[in-house]
Amino acid sequence: MFETYIKDYNEAVFEIDKEAAIEVVEKALSNGITPEDIVFKIVMPAVEDMMQHVLNDLDTNLAQHFMTAQIAAEITEKMLLQFSEPPEVIGRVIIGTAFGDLHSLGKRIVTGCLKSMMVDVIDLGVNVTSEEFVNAAIEQDAQVIAVSSMMMHTATGEEGSLAVRDLLKQQGLESKIKLVVGGSPYRYDNELYTQVGADSWAPDGITAAKIICDLIREVKKS
Amino acid sequence: MKSHTLTLRTPSTTLRLLIAEDLSVRLALDLASTRVRAACGGIGTCGACTIQTVNGEFSSTTLTEYQKISADEREKGLRLACQLYLKSDAEVFLENPAPLSNWKSFDLSAWPSYNYPAFDTNNLYYGIAVDLGTTHIRVSFWDRKQQKRIACRHGNNPQVALGEDVLTRLDVNKQRGDELQSLTQIIRDAIIQGVHDILARDIGEIKSILDKVGMVSIVGNTAMLALLSGQDGSQLYDPLNWEKPIPCIANDMDEWKQAWRLPNAKIEVQAPLAGFMGSDILAALIAIDITQHSEPVMLADFGTNTEIALWDGAQIWLTSVPGGPAFEGVGLEQGLSADLGAIKSVSQTNNRFDLEIIGDAKAKGFCASGFVDAIALLRSNNIIKLSGRFAEPSPDGYCLHQDNIKTAIKPADIDAFQRAKASTAAAMEQLLVLADISVHNLSKLWICGAFGQHLNLHNAQITGLLPSMDCSRIKLFGNAALSGCEKMLLDPNAKQKETEMRQVTRVVNLTHYPEYDDCFINHLRLKPFLGDK
Repeated sequence: MFETYIKDYNEAVFEIDKEAAIEVVEKALSNGITPEDIVFKIVMPAVEDMMQHVLNDLDTNLAQHFMTAQIAAEITEKMLLQFSEPPEVIGRVIIGTAFGDLHSLGKRIVTGCLKSMMVDVIDLGVNVTSEEFVNAAIEQDAQVIAVSSMMMHTATGEEGSLAVRDLLKQQGLESKIKLVVGGSPYRYDNELYTQVGADSWAPDGITAAKIICDLIREVKKS
Repeated sequence: MKSHTLTLRTPSTTLRLLIAEDLSVRLALDLASTRVRAACGGIGTCGACTIQTVNGEFSSTTLTEYQKISADEREKGLRLACQLYLKSDAEVFLENPAPLSNWKSFDLSAWPSYNYPAFDTNNLYYGIAVDLGTTHIRVSFWDRKQQKRIACRHGNNPQVALGEDVLTRLDVNKQRGDELQSLTQIIRDAIIQGVHDILARDIGEIKSILDKVGMVSIVGNTAMLALLSGQDGSQLYDPLNWEKPIPCIANDMDEWKQAWRLPNAKIEVQAPLAGFMGSDILAALIAIDITQHSEPVMLADFGTNTEIALWDGAQIWLTSVPGGPAFEGVGLEQGLSADLGAIKSVSQTNNRFDLEIIGDAKAKGFCASGFVDAIALLRSNNIIKLSGRFAEPSPDGYCLHQDNIKTAIKPADIDAFQRAKASTAAAMEQLLVLADISVHNLSKLWICGAFGQHLNLHNAQITGLLPSMDCSRIKLFGNAALSGCEKMLLDPNAKQKETEMRQVTRVVNLTHYPEYDDCFINHLRLKPFLGDK
């Protein structure tokens, strides 16, 4: 029975059919599956599965990518409210779009994936200054700052990721707060992230969430 | 009106065209890629447009033709294309076509006709309207005294060579630094070339006519107008400027007029509404007189950026979303502008896909309207699924005609289309939510821009590009921005209307609405949305 839910859910996600995915979850809940099992045994593995597809199957499209993250985030948020105990959160991330940039979709995908992996995400929105990024990370005790840029000039500009790196350096926070970047300019030049002072980057939302989880663990270990 | 097929041969090409009986061969060819030579407005005075009839029935020889063509030549079937009309399917031979040009006429028969009040032009009879787009330039030339359009042209914006979208071109501009002028120059040169093409072919004089041009009215998107007026467009990088009006005022107006050889003209660059909202959309709203409607109406101007306006009886809600190149046809694997060889529509008979190709030539790729048809038909046949993926793995896509790879729809094309249509559909839905209007209360929806007059509304609805409202309430209005620009050029009341419209326009930047992203993602599936019921 459980296997059927997994199969039906994966199929719905693959077909970017949100209504069908939610239907599967509701059916599972009404048949006694716990919210915890839905998140950990259905939703999270589906995100992982999708990552494999994105990496290996050139035929997957952006629509599927967007939808996987959105469905995962929506269901996880709903389920979290019904958990019997508060879930164990891996860590916390401050996310936003670089100063001068109003593109919000990229970070939204990453946010969705992070949420389904039990990472607490604070979204500062678009056109975020370096001070806002760093101050929020300090106040909220976050381990990672994630800066999204969809245009070359906001990726490499002096008020974007580079400025965040400067502030972290000045305040001696580099071992406590890691900096990651993402967005289309980085997909064209896979080494660009080093030029903008970032610790890492990822080409897609699901890989980004994994990398961020690794960095959180790294910070927590040290 | 009856139409006949004309087969046109030249030393280098063969073209087939469907021509209505009341359209001269010259005017019909002006709309195509091969034009006759011409130096008068089609009244038979220049005699440059000689063409040889090979077979078929034609209108009888006119007096002008007796004067311009010798008996010998008439014997060989020579005629003047401007005097020649088809009475049956026919074949003609054109030995000396006009040199290839960036400029073509376009069909305005679907345009509403306005009666502009006569006004004192102070002997400066002529006026020019220009719609400057990222991909295309459209120009029309008017006799303001007789309130008559002499001709119109559209051509490609030569800046396309420097980058398909606005930001890439601004980046190029930034890098060029000192050469800034050249980008301004490229676009100014292009516009005046379009004007010269009209003057040379449709009037036959240039200098004396340019002296009598009194007004040039130019609309366009903000970035293009900024570059046209000699600015570097750097303000557009700052998001704070996106919702603010950006002045596009040239500080070299005298040099500009001199370069265009328009000593007596006033060149008016119509001010954009905001950084991401040009005066082209304003012109389109003027063309449909949006504020005069007593019921809610909507207009969508499709292009590299798609603007959407909603009139609720008191305010114009206006937004702009990225369409990407999918709607211009140019960004697709087999994408084309609506030129010779472009598939402009697709239909289905049993298991066969029938392609309607511009010029009846071999298919070279899809223009936007044919592309929408193809996706809708592949979807209806379950060859692609609601998710946009092929039912059977097809990394190379699907060829509508197996023997021609130019008829292929690739997975990446569908993906690009899904994103483009989702962003516009979501924007329509969001504006309706903001204005608290439901789709069945919309009395009209105008579709302007890239799709021209060819879009199959039913197919557009199958893919979720347009809301599933009754098609009788959807109107196609290609080139609406140029039509509105003409109003600004010719209607003395247009200024007043424009000011009023600016006052009631509420520019909405959807990036400030987090729910827009969700709405966008929900619209990615290839399925109908917002039905009347």
